[in-house]
Amino acid sequence: MSDRTEPRWRQDFPVRWDEDHYMTRRELAKFLTLGSGLLAGVNVLIALIGLSNRPPDVPARRIAGVGDVAPGTSLLFRYPTLEDPCILVRDASGRFDAFSQVCTHLSCAIVHVPEDESLACPCHKGSFSARDGVPTAGPPTRRLPRIVIERRGEDLVATGIEV
Amino acid sequence: METPQQGSTLFSAVLVLIATLVVIQLWLVATAVDAMLSRQIEVLLPSAIASGVLFVLAAGLLGYVVSFDERLRHWGPRGR
Repeated sequence: MSDRTEPRWRQDFPVRWDEDHYMTRRELAKFLTLGSGLLAGVNVLIALIGLSNRPPDVPARRIAGVGDVAPGTSLLFRYPTLEDPCILVRDASGRFDAFSQVCTHLSCAIVHVPEDESLACPCHKGSFSARDGVPTAGPPTRRLPRIVIERRGEDLVATGIEV
Repeated sequence: METPQQGSTLFSAVLVLIATLVVIQLWLVATAVDAMLSRQIEVLLPSAIASGVLFVLAAGLLGYVVSFDERLRHWGPRGR
């Protein structure tokens, strides 16, 4: 067919309905079932990875002295390795709590906000309770890993991590 | 009695069912990833088993409807 008989819009929309490829319901059902199989495989893979990744044994280590942190302030430290930033918080009553400093949303570093006893993530306005690490506002949905600390005399010793 | 109308309706219904199962599996995968990251390993195995069961259901539905369709094509409408 010559171009003269073709309307101008045909040049912009050259696909003909009768030549277009239609996916039948049978094909769609097969694709969905294939996707279902893939999703089941992914789920099994996740289970295998999760079950094989046991938490490593972490050594006990002194992180600070009791007098190093005044009530209502915080102290940064690294535990269990130098790649793991953590924060030690002492509230107004003198109680100590320690958490990972890595936000569970997108891994920004959180900061202590003594005014409302919270840990805030400045990246996306996330907020966690400074008492138990539970998310209280913003995008984070998982609580902060807690660093288990023991008071041994005048020393504060980290002994483990509760994820 | 198997008629083309029945086959068409059955195929649509099964398609919707399989799509629903896939959506549930997507939710299961998202839940499993979240559980793995927060080390809640007790969630992982039931999630994987449930996803496998849903896949078997989807495959069974597909097999049933395809065999129904092939029966219809081979023998033609019956009961008329």
